Amino acid sequence: MRKLLDGHNLVDRDWIYGLMTQSNLFNRKERGGKIFVSPDYNQTMEQQREITMKRIWYLLENGVFKGWLTESGPEAELRKLALLEVCGIYDHSVSIKVGVHFFLWGNAVKFFGTKRHHEKWLKNTEDYVVKGCFAMTELGHGSNVRGIETVTTYDPTSEEFVISTPCESAQKYWIGGAANHATHTIVFSQLHINGTNQGVHAFIAQIRDQDGNVCPNIRIADCGHKIGLNGVDNGRIWFDNLRIPRENLLNAVADVSSDGKYVSAIKDPDQRFGAFMAPLTSGRVTIASSAIYSAKVGLATAIRYSLSRRAFSVTANGPEVLLLDYPSHQRRLLPLLAKTYAMSFAANELKMIYVKRTPETNKAIHVVSSGFKSVLTWHNMRTLQECREAVGGQGIKTENLVGQLKGEFDVQTTFEGDNNVLMQQVSKALFAEYVSCKKRNKPFKGLGLEHMNSSRPVLPTQLTSSTLRCSQFQTNVFCLRERDLLEQFTSEVAQLQGRGESREISFLQSHQLAEDLGKAFTEKAILQTILDAEAKLPAGSVKDVLGLVRSMYTLISLEEDPSLLRYGYLSRENVGDVRREVSKLCGELRPHALALVTSFGIPDSFLSPIAFNWVEANAWSSV
Amino acid sequence: MAVEMASHSQVLVEEKSGVRILTLNRPKQLNALSFQMISRLLQLCLAYEEDPSVKLVILKGLGRAFCAGGDVAAVVRDIKQGNWRLGANYFSDEYILNYVMATYSKPQVSILNGIVMGGGAGVSVHGRFRIATENTVFAMPETALGLFPDIGASYFLSRLPGFFGEYVGLTGARLDGAEMLTCGLATHFVPSKRLTALEADLCSVGSSDPTFASTILDAYNQKPRLKQQSAYRRLDVIDKCFSRRTVEEIISALEREATQEADGWISATILSLKKASPASLKISLRSIREGRLQGVGQCLIREYRMVCHVIKGEISKDFVEGCRAILVDKDKNPKWEPRRLEDMKDSMVEKYFTRVEEEGEWEDLKLPARKNLPAIAISKL
Repeated sequence: MRKLLDGHNLVDRDWIYGLMTQSNLFNRKERGGKIFVSPDYNQTMEQQREITMKRIWYLLENGVFKGWLTESGPEAELRKLALLEVCGIYDHSVSIKVGVHFFLWGNAVKFFGTKRHHEKWLKNTEDYVVKGCFAMTELGHGSNVRGIETVTTYDPTSEEFVISTPCESAQKYWIGGAANHATHTIVFSQLHINGTNQGVHAFIAQIRDQDGNVCPNIRIADCGHKIGLNGVDNGRIWFDNLRIPRENLLNAVADVSSDGKYVSAIKDPDQRFGAFMAPLTSGRVTIASSAIYSAKVGLATAIRYSLSRRAFSVTANGPEVLLLDYPSHQRRLLPLLAKTYAMSFAANELKMIYVKRTPETNKAIHVVSSGFKSVLTWHNMRTLQECREAVGGQGIKTENLVGQLKGEFDVQTTFEGDNNVLMQQVSKALFAEYVSCKKRNKPFKGLGLEHMNSSRPVLPTQLTSSTLRCSQFQTNVFCLRERDLLEQFTSEVAQLQGRGESREISFLQSHQLAEDLGKAFTEKAILQTILDAEAKLPAGSVKDVLGLVRSMYTLISLEEDPSLLRYGYLSRENVGDVRREVSKLCGELRPHALALVTSFGIPDSFLSPIAFNWVEANAWSSV
Repeated sequence: MAVEMASHSQVLVEEKSGVRILTLNRPKQLNALSFQMISRLLQLCLAYEEDPSVKLVILKGLGRAFCAGGDVAAVVRDIKQGNWRLGANYFSDEYILNYVMATYSKPQVSILNGIVMGGGAGVSVHGRFRIATENTVFAMPETALGLFPDIGASYFLSRLPGFFGEYVGLTGARLDGAEMLTCGLATHFVPSKRLTALEADLCSVGSSDPTFASTILDAYNQKPRLKQQSAYRRLDVIDKCFSRRTVEEIISALEREATQEADGWISATILSLKKASPASLKISLRSIREGRLQGVGQCLIREYRMVCHVIKGEISKDFVEGCRAILVDKDKNPKWEPRRLEDMKDSMVEKYFTRVEEEGEWEDLKLPARKNLPAIAISKL
């Protein structure tokens, strides 16, 4: 099962797990006879930043980052993703620092830049001769990249671009690496050529020299202490008419000639912006995946703890009951476990389609990655909160990780696109697809909408246990929900437009249907990935357990969604049947709980001490 | 005080109040573990666990060796007669013994006053207390034989400091008593002339609580200095080189170090890697790396799969060839196949870690259910 869940590069993962456990840099400690490695979050912000860089140098020396920018192809990309995931399992700060340098700075050079940029920067990036960061977000603009206020003009006499921060809301903010370490940055800015704003473009600027001094015409301030991720030195940047050579424009999509003419192969500014932003999908892919690994750490800890911790007896003079033997405790954790499993397959599928991407699949990847990033990061936050509560007071102790991870991973719900904004991208894309197909009278193709070409599924009125667990029924409910919500959404928008509202305003006013639709689309896409994984398995115990997990995922999603009753997909009796089936599944999954969390493949040393012998870990002899 | 000594018994048993002293008795074969010895040791260990009058078990060897290893020559004879399953049975019994010792609820004290290699490590290092002396010589020499460090070595070697475990497991390097103590393979060091007195004191133990034995052992314990040329003094180089991802990269890293300083130790290390079976090196490295992240039971289950593939000889016949060259003909010139590291592909390595597909049944190693596990045993799982 571990092979199924991790999906790829198991040997590479084991190697880097080993690199971390065997070094003194990763805060190795013994608790209850076992070794654990996890960052010391009690260090000061400055200490955490320093040790994070030292850990990265150690990994660099050991060749972990070899080929991350100079090699290409799905195999190399999957290996990078696997190694990055393990970094994140150890400490989100490490994976963020590495991610900013390689995936944001490095990929920007690779995909926005051309040959001259590759030759000058890629190898130096891989060897950390330069330390890169990524200045896109501003104080006044995050998700709305197109609205950023940094301005760049061109000076044909000196053949230089001039970058400036025209007002305080234009200052670059949250720039990981900028406060202490980075020497270079990608600068995103509006490009004004001959009085015309050509839109957002990307440039390379040096911000520090090799001795660590900030360059002239640049001001940098610290973002300060955060609720988590204090191993990342986030900075704020102001540009005071900074001059950079013309060659520093990353010119894969558009260029400026030496005499100041703007040229681009893509005439339409919207399309140009879209082509520009396409490489940023990798961020959503890595975030979705790391969110699930964080949930796995939380659940492995909480479930293992609940298999050894007892509280209250139910009979007079009887022994106290194991936490996971309480139906209520099962109800709190096992559905989250099933969702994590399903989403793990979803994250893996997303990685696969991402590394094999072609220009034709880019649009679909954009939509799916937006949906998955949002749903998976929200799920992680919810799971961590539940796990923290499920382990009681022990979850308040920083060293026990579960509580601390909440602060560490919270940012995932709003960076690289606010989740709510991203979910709107999903509903807008579905709307556009629906309207376009209806207009051209063509069958639906792509975005998983093919089911709408067949007749509307009819759900049985009587829902027995076997019906509820049947994959065809489950697929039908999810398809019906998506179909109906899409039809309702497009219909409501059309009505509002008919009354004279613009399309944009109509979307805003129909936001509730849009949210329901986005969720329905994403949950159905996730279901498909776990069904596919289950189908590939030969008959046997692993397939049977995965089937139980899949049914739990589907039924808990149905139980938690008011749309089922609100729009009449299920009757009141039906939702009662669903709820009872979830409870039944809790009991059936209980005996597999330990095996299911062990299959996450996260080594014991990367979990919390309370997942094991928490009495011994707290013994007086260890004080 | 009762002394039981059956004639021709390969494991001698003495009872001294609450203590049982087991002595490996095959001195002509340096106490190499035969199938009968393994069965007898397992039988005795399990009986002593149930017997409340037994508080402590001492294990030692007769003659100049503690135990030089498993009786691999016998396994090779079985393979040559087409009987790989008999060999598999030998290993499964041995690994079950290793597991029982690793999870034993009473303290085991092994007196390593001599050679302790391979299977000898398996019946001692998993126990609670390991006493090294000035006569101790430890090694895991399997890669020179076409095998791999088994007997749960992927569990304990991987947990040595830094990447010392990879060094010991891949090169077959020998460690003396002081080195064993320093790296943690031994828990105590006692000069051999004091062993008789130590044994007598241990026999006064009246409880299976390990603190009693520990207090006695601590009183005899010494901290000898590491020898000047000890490999353990070169941990910086070992960590730098043996942390690399592949065997090829480990060797390149060592060769780079060798250009920086002319050093006999580095050249000897490179030489032992170049002489070892390429197949063995690759599966050993992966075994140690996986074992680092697994409990002792999982390690033994994985090693059992690996050893079955080794003795079946479908991917490589290096085990038979290695035993021929080193143990039988003693020409020390094995012809490995594949001959070079690059010919041992990842797909071939992968096969060793999969279940054995076989007509007739083959099953994963079945570990016995254990009860009353002390905290130290639980932490190994």
